[in-house]
Amino acid sequence: MIRFDHVHKQFPDGTTAVDDFSLVVPSHEVAVLLGSSGCGKTTLMRMVNRMVDPTSGSVWIDDDNVADLDPVPLRRRIGYVMQNAGLLPHRTIADNIATVPLLEGVDKKTARQKADELLQLVGMSTSTADRYPSQLSGGQRQRVGVARALAADPNILLMDEPFGAVDPLVRRDLQSWLLEIQAHLAKTILFVTHDVDEAFLLGDQVLVLREGAEIAQQGTPDEILDHPADDFVRTFVGIDLPSRRRRR
Amino acid sequence: MRFFLAALEFIADPANWAGPTGIGARLLEHLLYSGLALVLAALIAIPLGLYVGHTGRGRELAVGVSGALRAMPSLGLLTFLAVSMGFGLRLSIIPSTIVLAILAIPPLLANTYAGVEAIDETVVDGARSTGFSEGQIVGQVELPLAAPMIVGGLRSATLQVIATATVSAYLGLGGFGRYILDGLPIRNYALMLAGSLLVMALALVADGLLALLQRAVTTRGVRAATGQSLGPDRGRPREQRATSASTTGAQP
Repeated sequence: MIRFDHVHKQFPDGTTAVDDFSLVVPSHEVAVLLGSSGCGKTTLMRMVNRMVDPTSGSVWIDDDNVADLDPVPLRRRIGYVMQNAGLLPHRTIADNIATVPLLEGVDKKTARQKADELLQLVGMSTSTADRYPSQLSGGQRQRVGVARALAADPNILLMDEPFGAVDPLVRRDLQSWLLEIQAHLAKTILFVTHDVDEAFLLGDQVLVLREGAEIAQQGTPDEILDHPADDFVRTFVGIDLPSRRRRR
Repeated sequence: MRFFLAALEFIADPANWAGPTGIGARLLEHLLYSGLALVLAALIAIPLGLYVGHTGRGRELAVGVSGALRAMPSLGLLTFLAVSMGFGLRLSIIPSTIVLAILAIPPLLANTYAGVEAIDETVVDGARSTGFSEGQIVGQVELPLAAPMIVGGLRSATLQVIATATVSAYLGLGGFGRYILDGLPIRNYALMLAGSLLVMALALVADGLLALLQRAVTTRGVRAATGQSLGPDRGRPREQRATSASTTGAQP
């Protein structure tokens, strides 16, 4: 479970990125933060693994206030997937996937085994293990990014627009693939996106955010589509678009 | 031309290579002075450059100081240090090493922090959010990725130091500078020219070896990323490479 308790974030230059945000993400569920860029959704997500510390308020993982935890071990037990995969260009795919095990000091052979297992889990051939990130396609790199995030078998996955940089067709594939593996893995996932379709496809609950990470509406995809809270939500999710009507 | 042939003749004569004042000994001396200075400079400039590149702190200062150091007149500084340090004339290798190291610091420092700054920010951010400590980011991410640039800095530093190490002879030290300095008062221009040619040859050989080192520290992944791949993918556009890679794996 991830819990945000009245968090507030003001950057040194005076801009308020997050203003009094509270949220509970129950274990094994996918919560999607949906909003346009600059609304503070990424800032919120990065508070969970202490890449950003809130100015006030607290973030909890189960019964731990993350502010009391050392950031480095904390980050190792939380899977993080970012937009451009953020792989290390000088390391092979196998070593990239086994990043956390290697940091924790497991031997090369065990790390390699783990990497091979994860490659299969994310639907890639183990023959790519000795390649380098630049030799893979964007979609493959994102799969590797997910494999890396899963390497330490974390309970929590943070996904920051993980499919934002791949073309629409590949994005669809990756989305349904993520749903498939989530059905087995049942991780607690906090997912950030500005893509409305993606949010409604993946989220058990969706939070539509305004500027300052203010929650315009929170609910299941159906609740939001059936009862949009206000005009902002209606416009943002495009209630009147033909594609939405078909879905309903 | 006359001097040139005489200089070559001097270098080619095996008799001039032997003994404590022979070319062999002078070569070792020259290498020693240059090597000492480069090691000292690297010990200062590389950690400092990594610090500046990693934290972004002290960048202005580093730029300013490197610029000032570049403008330092070597011979003047050498004389000043040798005379002003009490032991400077007895242990003249100390002022000589300092002067040469000062010469080597700017290119090493500039290339190190530039190399770190050039790393894609998402790579460092990704490493930090997967749980690399700051020290591990520097050692396992920034250093290997900046290594080709750092060796590039070492190359220009080495060229300058080898060329300038001739001034050590002014303090009564050896090295190839001896030939230049000893040839002048007796108007033995062939000897002076021989000294210069030896310095040039040494500089070129050292540069060639460092070029090999630079290749060696450019890891395969980085070569592939920058399109310098030597494998079957060489010269093909990135899209095609990606496709050939994906034939082995699941279609994304």
